Amino acid sequence: MMSTLAQSGVPEIMGSITLAHYLFVSAVMFVLGLIGFLTRRNLIIMFLCTELMFQAAGIALIAFSRFHMNLDGQTFVIFVLCVAAAEAAMGLALTVLLFRKRESLSADEWRELSG
Amino acid sequence: MTTLAADAAHSAVTSGPAWAILIPAFPILGFALAGFFAATGNKNKLPALATVVCLAASFVTTVLLYFAWKDAGGGAMTVKAWDWFDIGSPGADFVASFSFYIDSLTIYWMLFVTGLATLIGLYASEYMSHDVGLGYCRFFAAFNLFVFSMSCLVMGSNLVMLYLGWEGVGLCSYLLIGYFYKKPSAVAAAKKAFIVNRIGDLGLALGLYLTFVHFGTVEYADLFANEKLLTYVDAAGRGAFHEIPVAAQGIALLLMVGAFGKSAQFPLYVWLPDAMEGPTPVSALIHAATMVTAGVYLVARFYPLFLTSQFALPIVAWVGAITALLAATIGMAQFDIKRIMAYSTVSQLGYMFAGLGVLTPTGGAYHVLTHAFFKALLFLACGAVMHGFAGQLDLRKLSGLWRVKGWMVVTIGMFVGCINLAGVPFTAGYFSKDTIIAECFVTPGAGPIGWILLFTAFLTAYYTFRVFFRVFMGPTEYHAGDDLHDAEAAAAHDEEVEHEAETGDHHFHPHAPGWAINSVLAILAVCSIAATGLYFVGGGKVDVHGHEVKAKHYAQSMVLQSTAAYVTPYDHHAFHPDDHSGDHANADHAEEPPAGVEPPERAIERPVFEPDVTDTIAPEREADLREALTHHVPPPAGVGPQGSIGEPLSFFGYDPHKAMYYVSGGLGALGILLAAALHWVGRRDAAHCAMDGIAKRFGPIPRWAENKWYVDEFYDSTIRKPLLAVSTWVFAAFDRLVIDGLIVNGFGYLPRIAGSLIRPTQSGRLHAYASGMAVGVLVLMLIVVLVLVRTGGLS
Amino acid sequence: MTLWIVAMIAVPVVAGLMIALGREEQARGTALLASFVSAIPVLGGLLRFDYADAARFQGRGSLEWLSELGIRLSVGIDGVSLLLIALTALLGPICVGASWTAIKERKRSYYAWLLALQGAMIGVFAARDLMLFYVCFEFTLLPMFVLIRQYGSDPEMRIRAATKFFLYTFTGSLLTLAGLVYVAWVGAQQNSGVWSLDMGYLTGVAQGMPGTQQAWVLAALLAGFAVKVPLFPVHTWLPLAHTEAPTAGSVILAGVLLKLGTYGFFRFAMMMTPSAFAEHAPTLAVLAIVGIIYAGLICWVQTDVKKLVAYSSVSHLGFCVLGLLAANRTGVSGSVLYMLSHGLSTGALFLMIGFMYERYHTRDMRTVGGLASKMPVWATFMVFFTMASVGLPGLNGFPSELLCLIGTFQSDAEWVQAGEPGAEGGLLGPWYAAVAGIGMVVAAIYLLYMVGKICFGELREPKHHADHDHELPDDLTAREITVLVPLAIGCLFFGLYPKSLTDPIADSVDVAVRTVLTGESPERVAPPPAAEDHAEDSHDGEGGP
Repeated sequence: MMSTLAQSGVPEIMGSITLAHYLFVSAVMFVLGLIGFLTRRNLIIMFLCTELMFQAAGIALIAFSRFHMNLDGQTFVIFVLCVAAAEAAMGLALTVLLFRKRESLSADEWRELSG
Repeated sequence: MTTLAADAAHSAVTSGPAWAILIPAFPILGFALAGFFAATGNKNKLPALATVVCLAASFVTTVLLYFAWKDAGGGAMTVKAWDWFDIGSPGADFVASFSFYIDSLTIYWMLFVTGLATLIGLYASEYMSHDVGLGYCRFFAAFNLFVFSMSCLVMGSNLVMLYLGWEGVGLCSYLLIGYFYKKPSAVAAAKKAFIVNRIGDLGLALGLYLTFVHFGTVEYADLFANEKLLTYVDAAGRGAFHEIPVAAQGIALLLMVGAFGKSAQFPLYVWLPDAMEGPTPVSALIHAATMVTAGVYLVARFYPLFLTSQFALPIVAWVGAITALLAATIGMAQFDIKRIMAYSTVSQLGYMFAGLGVLTPTGGAYHVLTHAFFKALLFLACGAVMHGFAGQLDLRKLSGLWRVKGWMVVTIGMFVGCINLAGVPFTAGYFSKDTIIAECFVTPGAGPIGWILLFTAFLTAYYTFRVFFRVFMGPTEYHAGDDLHDAEAAAAHDEEVEHEAETGDHHFHPHAPGWAINSVLAILAVCSIAATGLYFVGGGKVDVHGHEVKAKHYAQSMVLQSTAAYVTPYDHHAFHPDDHSGDHANADHAEEPPAGVEPPERAIERPVFEPDVTDTIAPEREADLREALTHHVPPPAGVGPQGSIGEPLSFFGYDPHKAMYYVSGGLGALGILLAAALHWVGRRDAAHCAMDGIAKRFGPIPRWAENKWYVDEFYDSTIRKPLLAVSTWVFAAFDRLVIDGLIVNGFGYLPRIAGSLIRPTQSGRLHAYASGMAVGVLVLMLIVVLVLVRTGGLS
Repeated sequence: MTLWIVAMIAVPVVAGLMIALGREEQARGTALLASFVSAIPVLGGLLRFDYADAARFQGRGSLEWLSELGIRLSVGIDGVSLLLIALTALLGPICVGASWTAIKERKRSYYAWLLALQGAMIGVFAARDLMLFYVCFEFTLLPMFVLIRQYGSDPEMRIRAATKFFLYTFTGSLLTLAGLVYVAWVGAQQNSGVWSLDMGYLTGVAQGMPGTQQAWVLAALLAGFAVKVPLFPVHTWLPLAHTEAPTAGSVILAGVLLKLGTYGFFRFAMMMTPSAFAEHAPTLAVLAIVGIIYAGLICWVQTDVKKLVAYSSVSHLGFCVLGLLAANRTGVSGSVLYMLSHGLSTGALFLMIGFMYERYHTRDMRTVGGLASKMPVWATFMVFFTMASVGLPGLNGFPSELLCLIGTFQSDAEWVQAGEPGAEGGLLGPWYAAVAGIGMVVAAIYLLYMVGKICFGELREPKHHADHDHELPDDLTAREITVLVPLAIGCLFFGLYPKSLTDPIADSVDVAVRTVLTGESPERVAPPPAAEDHAEDSHDGEGGP
């Protein structure tokens, strides 16, 4: 199945859905994530928003990969997912640690890098 | 008939006996032994013993060397120890080996240096006995090192060796002046001595450099045989100074600065009186007899160079005379007997320089010798007083010591020293001083110097006997000095029972000098008198650059055979054939070249005359002299001693040398009588005398003199203080504030300022960074889009 | 010979690594052993060196490093390098000995850096590849930075001092790097694009540059070397660094690190840019002379004795530079001699001050002084080394100072033209020497002021003397004396037999002098062929500067 799809170059089932759609979804997801990251102060929410942006990029990668009939993008996304999973574990662990230090999840509590 | 080449060949230097190295080696051995004793914590007088033995060995070696030198024919010899400096292979090599140059001048100097050092070492073994232990070792280590340095100075075969000794004696002088290092005044005096000497050393060093550049060598053997130098000496003999390059003339002026520093001449004399902070044996050996005569040695050794310089010898003569007078006036007003002796040393050194300046190196060298003995004697006698009276040196607190039990030897010693210094007729000091003064009236243009020196001779007699009459004559009275806390001395005194009738401190007993001090004083007293003999014996024919010259006495024969015996530039006697100076007859004038021979050769072969060689003019010589006159180019007028030819070369129509016997003898007697009248006759106690009333009539002048004419204060306020202020407020502040502060740290602050400008962007808030990033990405995208639109990439 | 040289560099570095990985309590023993072991290859080098051919770089050997850029690990030593390496190796055990009780904490890092520093310094003197030279040159900063920053005396100031030391010298030497790279680039262009950083080759390349270019290259070189020397007015890092550095750090700083600057003058400024050097020598000489007197007078008003000695280094090194600028055999020999002798006497003075500081924890001459009555042995050594520093004949300061000044004096163009027998060179002249000679008087003033304050007079001890370090006796210990005695013997030997030192350097000096005076090196080194892969080729025949 996959091989035929790959050979045809254009997805048959979703003929009406073009690359632009994927990219649009990706962009929307990214902007949502960005807005969330910029507006929210809760570390966990912010963390989730970064994940959202991350996945947005992943969608774009897969879409282009499909579009160019090149597996590099998809391979890359699999790696990214792995990394993201590890990173999520690390990130959440860090968040818990940070929470323990300040008894708060607000990002504004942490500004030691102020110059 | 001698030529330049023959002259050079004659002065070819032979190789001397290798054991001459032992002369400096023995003191170094003594130094090592003293150091070893210090390291092993020695607590007895062994260091002194080792020192005296080593120095005596050195003296004996010197005597042996003297005979070896005589046997070898009396020329110059060199003894090489090892290669010291040797730079470069081709061209202008700077070569100076660690080697020794032995000629009559060397031996003359070394004989009294090592001899006196041995005696004074013996004296010091008793004198320093209160300090047995580490200090004792330190003293004798430095003492030995001094003798080593002095022998390098005198025996060195090149200017660099001389410089080694020169600075070496300076170091030892520094260490020994600062012997009582806990006393701030001693430390300051030591420092002053070293620094003032360094100023002179700079002159010496530059003279060394210039000698090397101009003559291409600093080795005496090559230098004094250098053809250029011989030509210059000849030109100077004709008064043709314009033929001599300025560089060559400058050498003497530079060396002179060094000599003035080491020999404490105006304006660099200020360190010597302060140097009396050192122990008295040091004052006697270093600051009276030997080290301070190094300047005289330098001038004598480089006499040819001084002759080639138009201004050097006149300056030397004038500076000497001014120093002699200045120091004598200060000496008159002092109350510290050691300081009086110090000023008299400065004054007598002035005489020596004046002697060198008025073309009688013999007079200078002879005065060095006589002065070495009698001044060492005077100092040691003063030291004995100081030692016995717990550091008392104020002549207002000591009186009539000759009557105190056990002080007769000191009194006699002091008396012998005083008559020598005062120039009482038929003493050694009398003859040596007269030679110099008389020569001032012989040398054209030097008359005023002679008058200054005569006046100074009168002052000298006065202040010398002022000390003697006050301290040793008159009613007996004494007060202890402030060194009574000395535990050993105090313990010794407690044991004694008071039985002497004293008018002074009743709890104080002077402790009379022991055998070491007394015997040294006795030997020196004998030597001082015996030195007179050298004025009458030891002359004879000597060989001067291939000429037979008759030397009048020992000192002259020694000087004539050395480098100090170069042809005097103004064979001044020749200008006045009817002068007494028929001594030309002594010269081997049969070798006078026929007319038509080039002048340089003529002049070179003119032998040296010491004007004090008095003979009658042989009739056949008169023609020669008149003939010589016609060949001489008259020297330019007004250039110092040699300048004005027209002056009479007689002393009111008499032979200056003979006249001086009476004039200076009379002046000396007058000074002594004056001192007796003012300081002895009718004196009731130590503190008051007839002079007190007279001094008041002079207003503030005696006080000014007592304060050394405020020369030290003048130097302090015009040189030291401004320099210190500049260093503190200009240089150090400039360095800290401008160079380091403004410029260096300024550069350092540039990044910091830039950083502080953009620092607010680092708020530390996560959202600020995120927004910044987002905006950045937007801006980038905008730019990309805009560029694409512009270039049409989007379409 | 090549192996000996490699061992000279490698042994201290490896030993340093071992110490870093070893145990704390073994650190100083290992370091002492290592410093002696490091001296073995140096001794070997001294024995194997062919003194008859001392201008040739002996023991040449090289190893591929970055072949695309022509950078090789290339070594070789001539007489000058040999003696400077020997000085470095001599100071090694002395530094360890001096730190024996002074360093109480973090010994491993201290001794490891100390040894690494030694390796790097030897590397500088042995390098025949520009990049190897530069890497070693810069690497010396790192250990010194650590030594000052971590082991300095004042916890606040030492950080400032270390930072200033690092940034100041680093900034200067970056400009030097730029200059060197430029020369290498020109060399590559001339060699049809094949890069080579062989010093012999690039020296020839730089000599062939037109005047303006040479002047710029010289300026770049001086930016690094003059700071390192340090030449007035870029000297202000030195007093601070010296004052704060631990004793051994000061000894190395004064003994060897400053000599990297004068070595750079000798090896690069003179050899690479001779005509620019000759042209600007008078200007630089004025700077050197100003430095001599200016720093000397500043010494005189110091109260911190270590700062005084530090400023005296500025003054003394002025003589050293002056001798180089005279560009004649006497002057340059004297200058190289100065590099060696200053290391001994000033290093020793820093040791003396260090020993005092260990006992009193102050260097302020207003609170401590008159120590001769309490520490006679110390005071004896102090006077001895001070006299060496004053330039007393018979000790090491004198020959070098004398030769530098004579060199300056005789280097008068008019005299050279007039054929005065003792004139050589032509860049400077008697007035330079006369004014610089005032520095001799000033040196006497400030050094005697120092001795007078600190050795002589009534005993003055700080009030808090209760916390006197009771591990140490009043006077010097046997260990301390053992550390000082070799230096004292060295001072005497240098002073009495300088010929033993001027002979091995004579040929190299001759080459340098001829290069400056004729504007071109006597022997040109052919451009190296394109990089080949031979591991270690020792071609001893390769000559040239």
